[in-house]
Amino acid sequence: MESASIAVGSAHAHEHHGPPEAHSSSKIDRQTLGILLFIVSEAMLFGAFFASYFFLREVSNPTDVWPPDGFELPKAIAGVNTAILISSSFTIHWALEGARKGNREAMKMGLAMTWLLGATFLFIQINEYVHLGFSARDGAFGSIFYGLTGLHGAHVFVGLLLLSFANIRAWRGHFGTKAEDHLGVEVPGIYWHFVDVMWIIVYVTVYIL
Amino acid sequence: MVAALKNPGMPRAGLGFLIGGLFGFGLVVALRAVSGLEIFQTEATGYPHVIVPGITAPIGFLIGLGCFDYWFRWASGAPTIPDDHSQHGAYSWKDYFKFNTDHKVIGIQYVVTTFCFFMIGGLLAMLMRAELAQPGTQIVDPGVFNSLFSTHAAIMIFLFIVPVFAGLANYVLPLMIGAPDMAFPRLNALSFWMLPMAGVLFMASFLAPGGAFDAGWTGYAPLSTGAPLGQSFFNLGVQFAGASSVATALNFLVTIVTMRAPGMNFWRMPLLVWANLSTSLLVVGATPFIAGAQFMVLMDRAIGTNFFQAAAGGDVISYQHIFWFYSHPAVYIMMLPGFGIVSEVISTHARKTIFGYRLMAIALLGIVILAFAVWAHHMFVSGMFAWLRVPMMITTLLIAVPTGIKIFSWLGTLFDSKLHIESTSMLFALGFLVTFVIGGISGVMLGMIPLDIHVSDTYFVVAHIHFVLFGGSVFTIFCGFYHWFPKMTGRMYDERLGRIHFWMTLVGMLGTFIPMHWIGMEGMPRRVADYAAQFGNWNLVITIFSFILGVAQLIFVYNMVVSWRFGPKAGDNPWRAKTIEWLVSSPPPVFNFDEIPRVVGGPYEFGVPGARHAIMHDGDGATVSGPEPAVAGAASGGGGGEGGGS
Ligand code: HEM
Ligand SMILES: [Cu+2]
Repeated sequence: MESASIAVGSAHAHEHHGPPEAHSSSKIDRQTLGILLFIVSEAMLFGAFFASYFFLREVSNPTDVWPPDGFELPKAIAGVNTAILISSSFTIHWALEGARKGNREAMKMGLAMTWLLGATFLFIQINEYVHLGFSARDGAFGSIFYGLTGLHGAHVFVGLLLLSFANIRAWRGHFGTKAEDHLGVEVPGIYWHFVDVMWIIVYVTVYIL
Repeated sequence: MVAALKNPGMPRAGLGFLIGGLFGFGLVVALRAVSGLEIFQTEATGYPHVIVPGITAPIGFLIGLGCFDYWFRWASGAPTIPDDHSQHGAYSWKDYFKFNTDHKVIGIQYVVTTFCFFMIGGLLAMLMRAELAQPGTQIVDPGVFNSLFSTHAAIMIFLFIVPVFAGLANYVLPLMIGAPDMAFPRLNALSFWMLPMAGVLFMASFLAPGGAFDAGWTGYAPLSTGAPLGQSFFNLGVQFAGASSVATALNFLVTIVTMRAPGMNFWRMPLLVWANLSTSLLVVGATPFIAGAQFMVLMDRAIGTNFFQAAAGGDVISYQHIFWFYSHPAVYIMMLPGFGIVSEVISTHARKTIFGYRLMAIALLGIVILAFAVWAHHMFVSGMFAWLRVPMMITTLLIAVPTGIKIFSWLGTLFDSKLHIESTSMLFALGFLVTFVIGGISGVMLGMIPLDIHVSDTYFVVAHIHFVLFGGSVFTIFCGFYHWFPKMTGRMYDERLGRIHFWMTLVGMLGTFIPMHWIGMEGMPRRVADYAAQFGNWNLVITIFSFILGVAQLIFVYNMVVSWRFGPKAGDNPWRAKTIEWLVSSPPPVFNFDEIPRVVGGPYEFGVPGARHAIMHDGDGATVSGPEPAVAGAASGGGGGEGGGS
């Protein structure tokens, strides 16, 4: 993520000189563009699972009731969980605003709350798995249900890891107000928004439709 | 000894591999013990105590090698240390076995590693040809033969053709656009080191009970979901190779967008840069689909999900849709970078500007878009939706249009030029034009539903894929190797040996793959160890030519190795090319440039008096530093100087 620092001239004064600074030929910085492209490829990975969902529901089991009999989904609890995850998009935004404006307290609290909300989401999701009463081995529905929500859960987990790093650095006094000094908040933030939006799509597809 | 295990490097990587493997193994054992399951498993339960270490051991290796040291430091909240460039550049051969962030070192690591995989894949192919020399079973039994063609294709595609282009571009692309390195040098190094991991996984499958994976490189379900353990190694290896190529593609895109030298607007980029831009778009958009498909197969195999289990409501054909949604774009991932190489070589060695430069770039983008709309032409006989066939036929035939534009543009460039065909790279470029056109034509034939139904799963398809992959991709790879060899090594290869290599390769290639069209038309099925006696003569001919092809590659290896060590000094710009990588020394300095060059014209203005592509130093001697005001004007000045004909 922070690898751009390589382009900055070395601090060493002796003969060991560094590379010249790269000319920046675009307004967007490398890290932001990088995470956006990464998100595109992640969306495609979800696309593969949505394609599978489509085939399992519309092609293999077109006339059956969906979800098939015997598969009950706790729509309401999952709905509350959705609200929890969506609210974390606002807290991360708050953290970012804090970072931009130099309000360190807002940044730290925002990051911490986002992390807690994300962890709560994951906890409720795992709790749901435990109490669902069907497993990934049960029919096509079981497979694709766990496939999609599990894939998303893995992304929440990765997002939480990134947020943990951001938290650690924020609480240890890193990050400044200049744009390039708080990329460590900005980049996980973008990713976290993606995780949220993806969940809304997964929730609507799997639980509601 | 202890120090060697503490600092990043190969010894620590080995240790990490062991620890990672043991950790994964222990994790499975512990979890199974806790949940009261049998600790060790049989075939019926998918071998988690092999699959999990298959993931954790390579990750342990990467951690040990030092791929994540910087990120761990960052994550723990420690202050970042300013880069001392100690991981940049190679000062002895040992530096090539380290985590190195220099794009030039990584480029060579890629090229050499992938070429080793090419040799391994080639040996597997020769084994197959030996078996096929006569009808009947002589050398390997049909089961082993299935493993041979599967590993051959998987290695060639995922570990040679796709990554070797990433390697060549890694070396030259940052130089070409005037960047000091790639945008994310550490990610770049990580991308490289994931490749050997994929290679180890593919090879390890030979040790698995039941033999190496044998469901073809396509790994169709339900063949793959029911196959022995080796198939899981394929599923895992593809993940590592895929992650590597996505990370590289992302790196290329960010580098091209954000790090071009002042004055290099999009219409002044060399076509190789355009080609890699297009390829990277395809990789970012398509590769996740094969990752998804292989995940699902792995889960069907290892934990008993039903994605592709028809009996439990799964959908078998969905595998093919998801797979080809990656793998058709993948054939362009394997071809577009080659188009870029050929454009550079033809223009330089014909001393002519590219005919229709802008159209060349636009054709690339056209292929990128169309490539996502033709996947089901691989599925005409699969029993998929009948309504999808004709639209897919139409889009497939349409894709020949941008491809044809490129062919005619190369011909236009060659037209009335002074050909320098004593150079081997030009020979390969010309050879490519011939063989790729043949492969393209057989592709268009296959795109037509009735003909495809007739030749589906026959040697005709084998002939097509080898004309486009060998006659197309591999020829351009050699073309690129010869063209940039002097730049990478600072030395000249032996042109005479190069010419022998070319002619033997061309003759071997044509002799091997042309007859396959005929026996395919007559109905010899692909992927078989034995065949009807009537095909015996042609198969013997094919086998003989394929051995000529194999021997030719040894000449290449000899030429490269000896010239690298003892070849005459090449000079900075032996081909008198215009692009920036030729305006620095050979091999280029560790940090590429003292100052970022300034681009003042198109990349191919051969024969235009006074035309320059880039200015390396402003003023002579007295360096003007800082951003020059004139530059901004040049950058927004809407490319005055690209080639004609657009
Ligand atoms: C004008 C361009 C092309 C057209 C119209 C075309 C069309 C086709 C069609 C219709 C098939 C399906 C044959 C079948 O399985 O029955 C096919 C197979 C294939 N093509 Fe192409 N192709 C083109 C170019 C290329 C290129 C440039 C490459 C790679 C560099 C390529 C690689 C392959 C491969 C690997 C397969 C076989 C996949 C398998 O194992 O089943 N093709 N092509
Ligand atoms: Cu295709």
